[in-house]
Amino acid sequence: MPPFEPEPFEPRRRGDLVVTLFFLLLAGVLIVLPPEVQEQVAGGLRATVLSPFLLLQESLIETRVRVSEVSELQRRLNAATAALAAQSTLRQENTHLRRLLELRDRAGPGFRSASVLRPGLRGSESMFLLDVGSRDGVAVNDPVVSDGGLVGVIREVGRGTSVAMDWTHPDFRVSVMTLDGEAFGLIEPRQGAFREEDRLLLNGVPYYTSLERGTAVVTSGQGSVYPRGILVGTVDELAETEAGWRRGYWIVPAVRPAAVSHVLVMTEAERSEEHPLEELWLDSLPTAPEGPETLQEIEVLPGEGRVPEVDPDAHGPAGGPGDEDPIAAGEDPTLPDGDWEMEP
Amino acid sequence: MSPTRLYRTILIALPLLHFLLHVGFGIGRGAPDLLAVGLLLLARELRMGPAAGVGFVLGLLEDSFSLLAFGANTLTCTLLGIVGSRSRELFVGETLLFLISYLFFGTWLRSVLHWVLAGEEVRRDAGVTLLVHAPVDAAYAAGVGVALLLATGAWRRDPSS
Repeated sequence: MPPFEPEPFEPRRRGDLVVTLFFLLLAGVLIVLPPEVQEQVAGGLRATVLSPFLLLQESLIETRVRVSEVSELQRRLNAATAALAAQSTLRQENTHLRRLLELRDRAGPGFRSASVLRPGLRGSESMFLLDVGSRDGVAVNDPVVSDGGLVGVIREVGRGTSVAMDWTHPDFRVSVMTLDGEAFGLIEPRQGAFREEDRLLLNGVPYYTSLERGTAVVTSGQGSVYPRGILVGTVDELAETEAGWRRGYWIVPAVRPAAVSHVLVMTEAERSEEHPLEELWLDSLPTAPEGPETLQEIEVLPGEGRVPEVDPDAHGPAGGPGDEDPIAAGEDPTLPDGDWEMEP
Repeated sequence: MSPTRLYRTILIALPLLHFLLHVGFGIGRGAPDLLAVGLLLLARELRMGPAAGVGFVLGLLEDSFSLLAFGANTLTCTLLGIVGSRSRELFVGETLLFLISYLFFGTWLRSVLHWVLAGEEVRRDAGVTLLVHAPVDAAYAAGVGVALLLATGAWRRDPSS
């Protein structure tokens, strides 16, 4: 290190002190600025000084995606070749390949696929950057999902990039319901000692409503942000009760944000569609209930006074060998086979 | 290039390298905290005011990725710049042991300050954060920083000689 140089004279030190206090004061002011102003400052810096780093990251991600796409195409080609060579196993191969098709293929055109960038800097633990922006139709408050379920929500949108927060963010809240529509509540994150221990708490469940472990929890559609039917997680265990009027349950998140590298952003065009979203995550659901499988069916039951005859062999979520594939067969996958009959 | 010039060039390059690794290459937490290393070393070259200014700018850049506690990094780095600059009056710092200790405790101090300033809502468990995560991060950053300075020949007992 260079040799020590003593401070020469007093006036210079005084000026130094003033400059120091100025920067300290400025730094203190930044903390108490309104969030909107803070986001403007942060967005401005990302769009200017830090844009070369973000562009580099984008190009790296694009390269990585291209490499993985080539591998995927190769894999599909091999699978298709094998299927053609053995016509007798074509149906099984078809089922297998359909599983390989990720959520993007099953989802509608309103979904925008995006790569996730996590800066890993202090204070950025619950946020991530996406390589899609307003030019792709992405807007603030668009939900971010993966093949597992809900990841988070868009907070800021630039032209080609956007900033999102995942469910570990302290401000994250989502209104949810069980898949059978029995219980509604509000989900909020709870921090663990380590980031891997972060989990979700389902609050506001009526006291006399008991939820089984493994019950799937999806967004209820209440509020304007999350449409109904996005898988959020599954019930783990009872967390807390408040005497006589409500219960809280720990929820096993459907998605661990740290493990996500690619996501889908659900744009306004997709949210305005009427098709049931929970269909997209049926494979991720832990149980195959014998009752109604979709929210559409649930909605029909009480009002119409009818019960569907559900054939579990035809609509098991796993879709084993020999199963009929309703999508491939051009049928409506949300409706069970067989006749509907009036309840006595 | 003289050792002193090389040393100062590396000090300026360290924060750039920090953002290149964390943001450009997307390594995230796998990359060391070279921003703290650069700031700590640069602060010893500067008077208190400019050191605070450098800390302010570097902290603000890092805060642009912070949704949780905007401003905490800025104030942390400003304070770190001041402390680094004032440390010249306490320690001459010509030994390798001092360099390692200085970088280790400086980076650890940064974690502590950020934990304090980040606010209750964002804070994780103090024991785990300050006694497990922070020392490991500090040791990693100090190790990489010292190795970088030694490998490039930028640090010597007396670079001006």
